[in-house]
Amino acid sequence: MEKISESVKKKDHDDKIRGSALYVDDHVMDDMLYGKLLHSTKAKAKIINISIPKLPQGYFVVDKNDVTGVNRVHIVEDDTPVYVENTVEYVGDPILMVVGPDFKEVEAILNNIIVTYEEEIPVLDMTKSDTVFFNYNYEKGDIDKALKEADCIFIETFQTGYQEQAYLETQGMIAYPHDGRMTVRGSMQCPYYVYGAVSKALGYEAKDIQIIQDVTGGGFGGKEAFPSILACQVAVAAKKANKPVKVIFGRREDMEFTSKRHPSISTYKVAIKDGKITGMDIDVLFNSGAYTTLSPVVLQRGLICANGVYRIDNLRVVGRAVKINTVPCGAYRGFGAPQTFFAVEMIMDHIAKEIGVDSLEFKEEYIVKQGDSTSTSGKYHFHVPLPEMIDQIDKLADYRTKRKQYINQAGRYRKGIGMSLFFHGCGFTGSGERDFIKAVAKIKKNSDDTVEILVSNSDIGQGLKTTFSKIVGDTLGIPYEQVLINNPDTDLVPDSGPTVASRSLMTVGELLRRASEKLKKEWKAGEVQVIEEHFVEPDFIIPFNLDKFKGDAYPTYSWGVNAIEVEVDTLTAETKILGAWGSFDVGVPIDMNIIQGQMQGGFLQGIGYSSMEQMSSNDKGMIRNNSFSDYIIPTAVDVPNLVTEIINNPYSHGPYGAKGAGELPLVGAAPAYVEAMENALGADLNKIPFTTEDTMNVLQGVHK
Amino acid sequence: MVNFYKPTKLKEVLDILSKEVVTPYAGGTDLMIDPDENASYLFINKVQEMKNIVEDKEYIRIGAACTYTDIIENKLIPEVLKEAVSQIAAPAIRNLGTVGGNICNGSPKADSALIFFAADSKLRIVSSRGEKVIPIIDFYLGRKKLALEKDELLVEILMNKNGLNNYYYKKVGARKALAISRVSFVGIINTAGDKIIDCRTAFGAVSDVIIRREKIDAIFIGKTFEEAKALKDKYLAAYEQEIIPIRGRVSAEYRKTVCMNLLRDFLESNGI
Amino acid sequence: MIKFNLNGKEVISSSKENERLLDVLRNEFSITGVKCGCKEGECGACSVILDGRLVNSCMVALGNIEESTIVTIEGYRETKRFDVLDKAYASVSAVQCGFCIPGMILASECILDKNPNPTEDEIREGISGNLCRCTGYNAIVKAISIAAKEGQGLW
Repeated sequence: MEKISESVKKKDHDDKIRGSALYVDDHVMDDMLYGKLLHSTKAKAKIINISIPKLPQGYFVVDKNDVTGVNRVHIVEDDTPVYVENTVEYVGDPILMVVGPDFKEVEAILNNIIVTYEEEIPVLDMTKSDTVFFNYNYEKGDIDKALKEADCIFIETFQTGYQEQAYLETQGMIAYPHDGRMTVRGSMQCPYYVYGAVSKALGYEAKDIQIIQDVTGGGFGGKEAFPSILACQVAVAAKKANKPVKVIFGRREDMEFTSKRHPSISTYKVAIKDGKITGMDIDVLFNSGAYTTLSPVVLQRGLICANGVYRIDNLRVVGRAVKINTVPCGAYRGFGAPQTFFAVEMIMDHIAKEIGVDSLEFKEEYIVKQGDSTSTSGKYHFHVPLPEMIDQIDKLADYRTKRKQYINQAGRYRKGIGMSLFFHGCGFTGSGERDFIKAVAKIKKNSDDTVEILVSNSDIGQGLKTTFSKIVGDTLGIPYEQVLINNPDTDLVPDSGPTVASRSLMTVGELLRRASEKLKKEWKAGEVQVIEEHFVEPDFIIPFNLDKFKGDAYPTYSWGVNAIEVEVDTLTAETKILGAWGSFDVGVPIDMNIIQGQMQGGFLQGIGYSSMEQMSSNDKGMIRNNSFSDYIIPTAVDVPNLVTEIINNPYSHGPYGAKGAGELPLVGAAPAYVEAMENALGADLNKIPFTTEDTMNVLQGVHK
Repeated sequence: MVNFYKPTKLKEVLDILSKEVVTPYAGGTDLMIDPDENASYLFINKVQEMKNIVEDKEYIRIGAACTYTDIIENKLIPEVLKEAVSQIAAPAIRNLGTVGGNICNGSPKADSALIFFAADSKLRIVSSRGEKVIPIIDFYLGRKKLALEKDELLVEILMNKNGLNNYYYKKVGARKALAISRVSFVGIINTAGDKIIDCRTAFGAVSDVIIRREKIDAIFIGKTFEEAKALKDKYLAAYEQEIIPIRGRVSAEYRKTVCMNLLRDFLESNGI
Repeated sequence: MIKFNLNGKEVISSSKENERLLDVLRNEFSITGVKCGCKEGECGACSVILDGRLVNSCMVALGNIEESTIVTIEGYRETKRFDVLDKAYASVSAVQCGFCIPGMILASECILDKNPNPTEDEIREGISGNLCRCTGYNAIVKAISIAAKEGQGLW
């Protein structure tokens, strides 16, 4: 193990385990008011009237009329309202906020507000949407020729459902005005995203906005863009009140009305000639919900991954993110990749079965190698360690043997094992890092020779405070304890970009390493020194052009192999997970325990995504399962010990060889799980979550 | 006007119930999910007469305010009840929730009630006017409708001591902990020599009320195993008619299939 | 006015008797180590130890804990047993976002208090009511197992 990988005690361990870490709801300010949002109960309607009861002294209502800047939350585009104008577009669209000194009274007032709607017919089925928010296409080779010359064309459609992040700490913000400025603090991943959005909504100059990330109880992407919306709402309320205002979402509110993973429908047409794949024609549809939010970027990533880890020379990928009148979907660990990796892994598995070849043997023939062209005609510049990772997992799980053994079982319990091969493109898609983010990182040496890290990336549990400190400390040759890092405050840190896309360690970590190298050379004991580093795109990158959808979508890739073994009880259709093994290539782990924690946590979220995490809206556009008792995430007794391993494959342009690690472990769980279910049930499956009821349908021979 | 009462003796409890409009509060794990701000709680978890577990000649008498943890940790409790109760929710809920609360919530998903049904348990219901002991099956009048007057309180459950050893129990939920039952089933068979002398089953979470059909189970009573095998189809067909799952989050077809599968497996595992 | 013992001190609450213990602890006594994750008894973030047993404080009405003893992380962190768990959790970096952790620590205590040498299954059962979204549970289970070994004699 590399020295950098040796685990240390996490910077945030003590406060959190002692219960003294302060999350946003733990902060109480003098004169603070409490707010609660009134959400639309209709999926599509005009608001005709809002009848507000007589309000007691100190209580008031905040709505679109109180927005002093632009009534839009800047995310990628600017269509999300801070407070709705005259129409509501989904059940949950925020109409107004009630604010006052006693929270119970605020709730009581809220319950007595009557909104009169003129209902319109909502569109709730993504296949029936009439509004395409985003549309991308790309091609390489000659797919039409391949289809024409094919012996047969394999066509199949795959569906994936919602996934709710279910962070243990719900969304929350406090805003307070002071000295002509507005400070917003709370649970978030991207302080500078919130900064930009709040300044636009208030109409304040950027210098009059301060955003502080509080200790954040989980994010997983659910706190990438959504906090900007809540922050704008709370800031507007605080400005009206001229007092601090705190809003903390209830669990049901959070589950029903905040952003989730995009459901998808993908149709693959695969040309087969002489038993070989000659081309793929792929159509991908993502359910964006009512507003655009992050859909363009999620769709981009999903499309880039559409042909998986396979070398497909004749390729066409067409993708759309469409509007329907349901909750806007956004970022969730994997960000579009889990959807298309599920589809491509399953179709490879089905084609193999059709041809009469073992699934893994079939897939292995097409795995890309270093030097191959990517889906978007970029290049795999670095070693692709999939073959050795497959061997590693095969040894750990005894995959190949079990896979053969489990074909054609009888008896009450049926076992199955499945394997998936996947990657995660490291960092922001395309040229975003170079053209939009333009990350700046700083380190500051104090006169007592402690060194403070100044970046806007947020530790949301994934250990950034620790890993950043290790990089700086190790490079400088000073003890870990001498490196300091606080939660980002935009008054104090530069914009080093958002905590998303598995970019923080690889991109910002590298900036910190370079800054540390400089400081080491220029170190003057006892003096205050500040070193600043700006992002420079590595020169091996083939620039990505979004219009043409061509080039290196990512500088490099993190690779993954998962195997999952299941046992189905044919009496009850319940599935027990007997084993789950994951091999993950993260370059070099900056801290082994932290990386293990990321792998195990992500893997389990992926397992939940495949099986028990089912969420849907009814014919009125309402999400019915909006609580922990109805939206089922795994408990400690639902899985065995997850076995996670890394493979050593240093990335030349990452700090100490590190690459993106946070999202990778979730991406491949679903196809591994569903392949295992296919092995156990002897049927072809094409949807996730694949639930107990779905299993029973197959067992009863009612397979749809 | 909202009041709160904390009696320590049963007599006090009954007195309050006869005079005031109160909500009895034992464990609180159902009440506190969506509490009524205007409810006056009658806290009964310090009433010792409701927290005992004793045995007499016929019965194990379980105080209604005994928590699930009390049940699991007590030597007198039959294994079948322990097994069902130990799969309720999670440790923190089991430390608070009571069997009385489980029964009086009136839900067909009540995991302990399923066992009490199968064991033909009796409920001792008391008020300041007197007391009555009724079979649990008579306590449930329909979905969430109980034979319980406003001034009455379930104080004790009388469970048969014997004949519950050879049991088959299965709870099917959405996951292995913190799961509300989608289907629950218990089956018990006793033999003497080559004859079946007792057969009792119950199905939970499928209908408005836990399904207990003594008359159908009686098909096997007094029969030899050979005779029972010959009657198996009749028995299964009878349950096929009786089990009509109500609509829920999970489909009726799924739950019906699971019920019949478990019933068949219960018979087969007993050699029928 | 409800009298109870909070982390070793006799206190009197002037909150309403039908208030959730969770809210009373956080709002009246500023015990912010007890977290609110769902308010429905489904996640365990609000776990406290009531008369020696693990409970979800969101499910407990104040009126029901008169004369009882409540231990939260604020009290438990002063004990030697906590030190053992602290070291064990730190050694495997089991603390990620931290929101489930105060509840997990109290659940860990309740497991070991009842069973100083639990099997992995018994550990998982003991934390089955504490949801964690970050860790996948492996590290937490390992931490409790390490604490059981290292804390011989304490439990």
